[in-house]
Amino acid sequence: MIKKLIPLTAAVALLASLGSVQAQSSRDYISIVGSSTVYPFATVVAEQFGKSTANKTPKIESTGSGGGFKLFCAGVGVEHPDITNSSRAIKSSEIETCKTNGVAEIVEVKIGYDGIVLANSKKTDVMQLTLKDIFLALAKEVPDPKGGKTLVPNPYKTWKDVNPDLPDRKIEVLGPPPTSGTRDAFVELAMEGGGQMIDSIKAMKKEDEKRFTAVCHTIREDGHYVEAGENDNLIVQKLDANPDAVGIFGFSFLDQNTDKVQGAFVDSVQPTFEGIAEGKYPISRPLFFYVKKAHADVIPGMREYLSEFTSEKAWGPDGYLTDKGMIPMPEKERKKFAENVKNLTPIQ
Amino acid sequence: MTPITLLIIVLILSSVFYFVGRKRAFAVAGGKGARGLHSLPTYYGALTALWCAIPALLVFCLWQMFETAIVTNLVIRDLPDQIRMLPPERLGLVINDIRNLVSGNIVSGEIDPVMQMAADRYRNVQAISMAALTVIALALAVLAALFVRQKINPGMRARNHVETVVKIILILCSTIAVFTTVGIVLSVLYESIRFFKIIPLTDFLFGLEWSPQMAIRADQVGSSGAFGAIPVFLGTAMISVIALTVAVPIGLMSAIYLSEYAGKKFRDAAKPLMEILAGIPTVVYGFFAALTVAPFIRNSGGMLGMDISSESALAAGLVMGIMIIPFVSSLSDDVINAVPQALRDGAYGLGATRSETIRHVVIPAALPGIVGGILLAASRAIGETMIVVMAAGLSANLTANPLETVTTVTVQIVTLLVGDQEFDSPKTLAAFALGLVLFVITLCLNVIALHVVRKYREQYE
Amino acid sequence: MSNAVSEASKPEKPLRTLDIVNAGLAKRYRAERRFRRLGLAAIIASLAFLSMLFADIFWKGHTAFRQTFIQLNILFDPELIDAENLAAADYNGFIRKALEREFPEVSGRGDRRELSQIVSPGAAFILQKQLRDNPELIGQTLPLWVPANDDVDMLMKGHIDRYAPEGERRLSDKQLAWLKRLEEQNKIQKKFNKTFFTAGDSREPELAGIWGATVGSLYTLFITLLLSFPIGVATAVYLEEFAPKNRWTDIIEVNINNLAAVPSIVFGLLGLAVFLNFFGMPRSAPTVGGLVLTLMTLPTIIIAGRAALKSVPPSIREAALGIGASKMQMVTHHVLPLAMPGMLTGTIIGMAQALGETAPLLMIGMVAFIVDIPGSFTDPSTVLPVQIYLWADSPERAFVERTSAAIMVLLAFLIAMNAVAVYLRKKFEHRW
Repeated sequence: MIKKLIPLTAAVALLASLGSVQAQSSRDYISIVGSSTVYPFATVVAEQFGKSTANKTPKIESTGSGGGFKLFCAGVGVEHPDITNSSRAIKSSEIETCKTNGVAEIVEVKIGYDGIVLANSKKTDVMQLTLKDIFLALAKEVPDPKGGKTLVPNPYKTWKDVNPDLPDRKIEVLGPPPTSGTRDAFVELAMEGGGQMIDSIKAMKKEDEKRFTAVCHTIREDGHYVEAGENDNLIVQKLDANPDAVGIFGFSFLDQNTDKVQGAFVDSVQPTFEGIAEGKYPISRPLFFYVKKAHADVIPGMREYLSEFTSEKAWGPDGYLTDKGMIPMPEKERKKFAENVKNLTPIQ
Repeated sequence: MTPITLLIIVLILSSVFYFVGRKRAFAVAGGKGARGLHSLPTYYGALTALWCAIPALLVFCLWQMFETAIVTNLVIRDLPDQIRMLPPERLGLVINDIRNLVSGNIVSGEIDPVMQMAADRYRNVQAISMAALTVIALALAVLAALFVRQKINPGMRARNHVETVVKIILILCSTIAVFTTVGIVLSVLYESIRFFKIIPLTDFLFGLEWSPQMAIRADQVGSSGAFGAIPVFLGTAMISVIALTVAVPIGLMSAIYLSEYAGKKFRDAAKPLMEILAGIPTVVYGFFAALTVAPFIRNSGGMLGMDISSESALAAGLVMGIMIIPFVSSLSDDVINAVPQALRDGAYGLGATRSETIRHVVIPAALPGIVGGILLAASRAIGETMIVVMAAGLSANLTANPLETVTTVTVQIVTLLVGDQEFDSPKTLAAFALGLVLFVITLCLNVIALHVVRKYREQYE
Repeated sequence: MSNAVSEASKPEKPLRTLDIVNAGLAKRYRAERRFRRLGLAAIIASLAFLSMLFADIFWKGHTAFRQTFIQLNILFDPELIDAENLAAADYNGFIRKALEREFPEVSGRGDRRELSQIVSPGAAFILQKQLRDNPELIGQTLPLWVPANDDVDMLMKGHIDRYAPEGERRLSDKQLAWLKRLEEQNKIQKKFNKTFFTAGDSREPELAGIWGATVGSLYTLFITLLLSFPIGVATAVYLEEFAPKNRWTDIIEVNINNLAAVPSIVFGLLGLAVFLNFFGMPRSAPTVGGLVLTLMTLPTIIIAGRAALKSVPPSIREAALGIGASKMQMVTHHVLPLAMPGMLTGTIIGMAQALGETAPLLMIGMVAFIVDIPGSFTDPSTVLPVQIYLWADSPERAFVERTSAAIMVLLAFLIAMNAVAVYLRKKFEHRW
């Protein structure tokens, strides 16, 4: 009988200790949630902060931007996160949700840019793409190649069909799924930009803007665009195994794998650190994090973490974040956001 | 005293009373020892121990549940009026601050004297509450145990009492599964309903196109968004079927060989080794599927003149099949091993060869267990995400061709939930709806499976 | 021999049963052999897959157990150190100075920056720790081995091609020349990577360790095992032995089978709604992770347990009841011990699944960057598969081998767990 009581009592002890868990609802570390794109940069800062100060290292969850805002806006208090990372700007509806839950003051911090590259295996030649090529190769509906104003389902099968200067290879693009912020930025910058290059689509923008964005933002689903997961390392390796394919991913992965893949020229600019930083490369998007002002003086280390993140040695042109592949903002912008952080100026 | 020490004390007390009860039983039995008692002496001990522990634990749990609320209320009552009159969410923040002060972990800039007072009060009340709990729980434990000890007499039906308690515990355990189900349904239902308010149920259930390409931000005007779940469910079915066609034959044949033919040493080594297959992280399988199997399929297709995409249901399904082999093999091995030797001897006696015995006697006898294993394997196949994301992609195609890319329900749920889009958009809500519908579908399949197994089950002996 | 029989038997003579049996024997024996070979082939196939996966993991990961270190003569300059506030000193400066002493010819801001990049950014923390432990070092010059940067490490291990054109590798020609000189002076060496086994997560591959995640996994699985095994066994016993066969038990049975098919991330949603939001437990805590994984593994254990109970022959039960045992005694003393091997199998598989699961932990905040080693059941922590998943997703090349090494640690964990269960299973196993 005693033998049987042991697991039972252990279980009871456990359950009760769970009960006691909720009593201690205090936290002495910073809790950060949000985008998996900002995660690799935020973690570097967090680690630096944790190791060089007396504070604990912040806990950073990778939940996706949407899930991050959901948690962030759930309320004020130690059980809610202090900061959320995001690969897109906050939506007005999210600000509303925050307000109704008592999160009235949010500080927006833009941290830098992330280049989105199209790359293929080193085993083949570098692609010379234009935004127009990208649009024609990937949009679900394109203007009829035989002429006329009507839109037809994308008929192009090879890159050569799109543009005679391009190689005669099957269009096979591995890119992010529609739930991804990278995809969102890609359609907005590359596809919309490409649409503008085509007269009939450009004309549509004036007549019917809704239709215009719908056309530009819809990517073909006939197998030429493969929605790969968000594991960019896997995309790199798949490109290495399949030289015909082109992948869409963040600049930091190109930076780390220069021996395997090469970035395609877009509008004759190569995706290099300098090219993106100077704003010549057309497809790059800003990264953000948002701070709950109410927590700034309550959670230990908040202000120090913020000043570490906004210091020149972190996000400056020679800072350690650039080593990880983040593209710094121009100095003026850095100053502006550093000032915002210092004063904790909330967004309106 | 912390709650944990209190618990430990109660448990120690309870085990002490086990011996007290047992001794008492021997004492009341007089000279006849255990023979003079209705039940074995250990049952008297166990009964005393249970009486000691259960009331105290009940009080403890109730106390833990309501303590925070009561303490908080007491503290609020003593706060200055202007704080007490705050709206509830602001008041919550103040309470939070007080609690942080109490635990002393978080040092905020300046400590308000009012807050400090409240925190002291909080600490005070908490200490009183803990002391009260300790006294009450321990007193209850001792009194209840002594009460039972007093009542012990040779005719007392201690075993029946203990067994009733054990049975109640068993019943409670078995209801956990029901509560889990209720919890799951409740936690996805609310969001699902919100989703179905935006996308009609029929469109979702019978739609043939799955393309959640909706705008992520409000200032963008959305592009196409189609939420027809059929391609996703068919993709799930296809990948699961491929996985099972790999896993069931290999798993079942392995199980048969292990339990019927293999030597003891071989079996002892092979079985745990195979079980490791189920524990290898799915990332490994994912890389294997995406970088080894998929290119192999593409290249062999290329040789046959077929144009196969590098992402295919086949690659994901095959590799997933390897992963779930142990679900079939280990569970089947156990049940096959448990089929009484007498059945085999009977078949041998009639002149059947070993394989005939296995096919006609052993397998039918072990069928319910084997089906259980296969069902578990299928369940795991449905629930797997990583392999599918890496090897089969995320595009939902309505196709029956295993060489094309498909996606599964679970994969969609995961990507939609961790996406960058706004959490309240139909895209994220679709994840909940998918979860709910998958739940209903598997429920139906399980009901059918239950009836089928009942019908074909062969009862031996 | 059977051929001889069939030739000998005359068609007009009525066949004796023995003849019919003999006639079919060869075929039946062939079928028997075929069946047996098929079984063996199935096992060999699965073991082949296993060894292939193992070989792949080992091949990719074995290099992670060694790490490249560079020897530097560090001067703990007393003028730059405030003995009262050791943390404030510029340790990176010490390293830069040591490098400059090593390579006095390097000048210019860009070159110096490149030079300092061959040492890990974490080296400063090592100096800091060294000095904190031995404050008497101030003013001394010490030859210290500090970890090299991950790119250097990859180069030394041959994962970066030294002869590739400069644009295709992360190290410049100058850096290669410096490294070559260090190599000639024997000041760059591969040593056992202790950090990997003692540190928590890090964004610098050379500082990243698996210990934090291992501890998190230990805490989480401890809770899972502690709850799921007794509850699972109790449920299986009740449903199989005590429950009246009626609609209610049918519902529970279907229910449990169905729970096994619920995608694991949905359990995460449940955990979020119930444990975090309703009970207010802390996010990212192993306790909550353990609870969620318990709910997830319960169906596996219950189903396996019921199958095991079903396979205990009725004669055992009848014999027990016949000599006067109560039903509870029959179950606890006879049926349960006999069914234990099957229950343990279910537990092994369930725990293996729990050990490898990431999706449900996502919703309760355990997919996170956590550097500090968790010290209790409520500290924020992560688990091994999450660590593997996060590393597999990191851009740095050096994380590839660390991912595989982490998988090896996970497998070692799994094998250790299985070994215990196998031992127990053998103790209980019976054939009658």
